[in-house]
Amino acid sequence: MSKLVVVTGASRGLGLAICQQALQAGYRVLAIARTESSALQQLQSGNTALQFLAADLAQLDQLATLCSRISKDYGRPYALVNNAAMGNDGVLATMHNSDIAQLLTLNLEAPILLAKYLLRPMLLNQTGRIINISSIIARTGFNGLSVYAASKAGLEGFSKSLAREVGKAGITVNCVAPGYMQTDMTSSLQGEKLESIKRRSPLGRLATPDDAAAAVLYLLSEQASAVTGTVITVDAGSTA
Amino acid sequence: MDLKQRIKACLEQTAELANCQLLQPVTDDTVLLQSGLDSLGFAMLVAQLDEELGFDPFSEMEIAVYPRTFAEFVQMYQQYQQKHTGV
Repeated sequence: MSKLVVVTGASRGLGLAICQQALQAGYRVLAIARTESSALQQLQSGNTALQFLAADLAQLDQLATLCSRISKDYGRPYALVNNAAMGNDGVLATMHNSDIAQLLTLNLEAPILLAKYLLRPMLLNQTGRIINISSIIARTGFNGLSVYAASKAGLEGFSKSLAREVGKAGITVNCVAPGYMQTDMTSSLQGEKLESIKRRSPLGRLATPDDAAAAVLYLLSEQASAVTGTVITVDAGSTA
Repeated sequence: MDLKQRIKACLEQTAELANCQLLQPVTDDTVLLQSGLDSLGFAMLVAQLDEELGFDPFSEMEIAVYPRTFAEFVQMYQQYQQKHTGV
């Protein structure tokens, strides 16, 4: 039976691209999202290697049960791709505390808990992959994205320490940090700001979800078995 | 096989998988941190027991409790087994 890859935030954007490429590479994919998008439904039609599971990852107290159900119903996962995130911006001084808490819950706490619980079957298999989707904002910063940046920098620090913790069990932990991509999450970035990002990029364009998904696929592969505790940046050179 | 025996069997199996040398014999008074199983090995033991028994006391408990000896570890699983099976 082929290896199972669990992808969160799978209904659109980068998550959807990861599901598409993982299926093409022969993995079984368990796509998790709050609701199933029509694009994901289309990808699923006639493809038994793709399963969809509805879950709200912000419900942290449900994650242990969710992960237990994943192993029981679909088998021990080979990999977890923590992609689900929210990217609402706002000046910190006026950002509501509940918005800060919500962002940190979904972008940082949920991936940590999913890794905690899905790591267990990987430990028993003595092999596995955890890939956390970060962002170049974790290291460059961006006006209005301080909490988002904190969540992504947190994920990178988490990944490096976890890589040291579980390497002995044959499990790698890495991040992929995309630059600006044209997805629903960055739809508010338009006009001159968007053009300026494209101009500053050495390649004269934005990275696409497919570009970032390809880096995820590399980290999933056997060829990446010696790569752990690192961050792969996919930003068309914006941060070069 | 009673619960204590199952846990002991799991412990031995996990030690082998984790490539750890258990200090024999494992008794009620064996201090877990001195049993020969390292911290990652304990995580594997908890994962294995979760798969076999269908529950994980460490995830269910409201406050963090870390059993010190093998007897305390077994007692904790016995308590949660009662909660799950009523036996």
